[in-house]
Amino acid sequence: MYGLEAINANNGWSISVVGVSIVFSGLVMLSIVISQLYKVLALLEDPSRIKAFFKLKKVRKKQAGKGPEKQAMDRETLNENQKEIAKQFDLLAGTMQESFSLPRLLLLARISDLKDPYSNLDQLLKTKIIVPDGSGFFSWDKDRFGKTIS
Amino acid sequence: MEALFIEFFQNTGFYLCDYRYIIMILVGLVFIYLGIAKDYEPLLLVPIGFGMLIGNIPLFKGLGLGIYENNSVLHYLYFGVTQGIYPPLIFLGIGAMTDFSTLMARPVLMLLGAAAQAGIFITFLGALALGFAPNEAASIGIIGGADGPTAIFLTAKLAPRLIGPIAVAAYSYMALVPVIQPPIMRFFTTRKERLIRMEEPREVTKKEKIIFPILAFLLCTFLAPAALPLLGMLCFGNLIKEAVVTERLAQTARNAVIDTATILLGITVGASTQGDVFLTSSSVGIFALGALSFCVATAAGVIFAKFMNLFLKSKINPLLGAAGVSAVPDSARVVQIVGQREDPTNFLLMHAMAPNVSGVIGSAIAAGVFWSLMA
Repeated sequence: MYGLEAINANNGWSISVVGVSIVFSGLVMLSIVISQLYKVLALLEDPSRIKAFFKLKKVRKKQAGKGPEKQAMDRETLNENQKEIAKQFDLLAGTMQESFSLPRLLLLARISDLKDPYSNLDQLLKTKIIVPDGSGFFSWDKDRFGKTIS
Repeated sequence: MEALFIEFFQNTGFYLCDYRYIIMILVGLVFIYLGIAKDYEPLLLVPIGFGMLIGNIPLFKGLGLGIYENNSVLHYLYFGVTQGIYPPLIFLGIGAMTDFSTLMARPVLMLLGAAAQAGIFITFLGALALGFAPNEAASIGIIGGADGPTAIFLTAKLAPRLIGPIAVAAYSYMALVPVIQPPIMRFFTTRKERLIRMEEPREVTKKEKIIFPILAFLLCTFLAPAALPLLGMLCFGNLIKEAVVTERLAQTARNAVIDTATILLGITVGASTQGDVFLTSSSVGIFALGALSFCVATAAGVIFAKFMNLFLKSKINPLLGAAGVSAVPDSARVVQIVGQREDPTNFLLMHAMAPNVSGVIGSAIAAGVFWSLMA
């Protein structure tokens, strides 16, 4: 038996389809697991991230219950800890020129051992204390800073 | 005395020789030449080539010398091939040599290794169409995986009588990767695509490297348990490499174990190509299908890479798809060479290793699938 007849008689099509599917699903599964592996390891190495993750979830849940205006207000306010850190960021920004690069500020924050520099910097951006100047650099809005921490 | 002399002469190779032995001896010499003079897979072609010389010395049957005679030394050594012992040992060594970090840094490239396995299944269909039995067709198809040990392992399980031609075809084409692949790669890609630069891969931590072989082993063998002997040894080899504390074992696996297994496998596979057994019409069919398998696998990898680019933000160089055939590291090297012909400052080798090693895993899974479906 030769040709298509032989392929049909020996279940060639179905064996090929099953084979290709298994090889693909095996490697897809492996690639998905591997792509998440470093994130899981990072979480396990720093348990505070897990806590932060659940805290964030709670906050999001709370915010979901509030109206959009209130949510916008929450984004623009800082809690006491954040205010303290914002003051430290203010000192750091003061050591730099009026227009500064964000990675540089972040580096200084990390060198100065500020707590959670990434998330706090993000908060300062959200509250618009740090504002982009349109040329890839950022500036420190002193008025807004004063109003926010007062 | 004259009769005694004639009787002795009738037992010599000169008297017993026929054209088939001469052809195979010439093929063996070509293998040795390619290995030594052209540097094409010398670690494989030289032992196989010399094995061909050993296997094609015309012998008086019954002396217990030929590889197919039950009480011969060669037959005992060949036991490691027919029972699938050497391929897992080679996989152990490969695992202990391979660095999976580029694969872990960009796991999406693993799909290219999967796509290139299409060559295996298309050739399987081709072999069925040419009248081969399903178990033989599966063994022929696996040549497209470009993985000699896997091809030998599966053939030993499914179609032992074809080990000689399949092993020789698989290793010949693996050695000819630098000749076979570039025209196909160029045909399916534009210059613009060949110039694509890959993103720098992220750094992979030691912990990830240690966890990877365990995870890969568990996931793949739960899915295709028949891939256990090959993947088990591959992953174990990689684990002892990455674990550091077992460096002594890793060193043995990547030196003594793999070298011993390669020598024994090469010599006995070569010796199994005895002219009267090897030179048949089915061997010619196997060689033709093997070439087809390689070409389809290369093309499938490249085309799939182009397909992935339709969805990816950070484009991948489609040449990497050709490395999905698991001829490690030759096909990755070919990608580097073809890429650098267009842009000498574009370094693709490191990125090509990802689909290359995933091709090894993919072809082992494919072999496992065939084994479980045919056995």
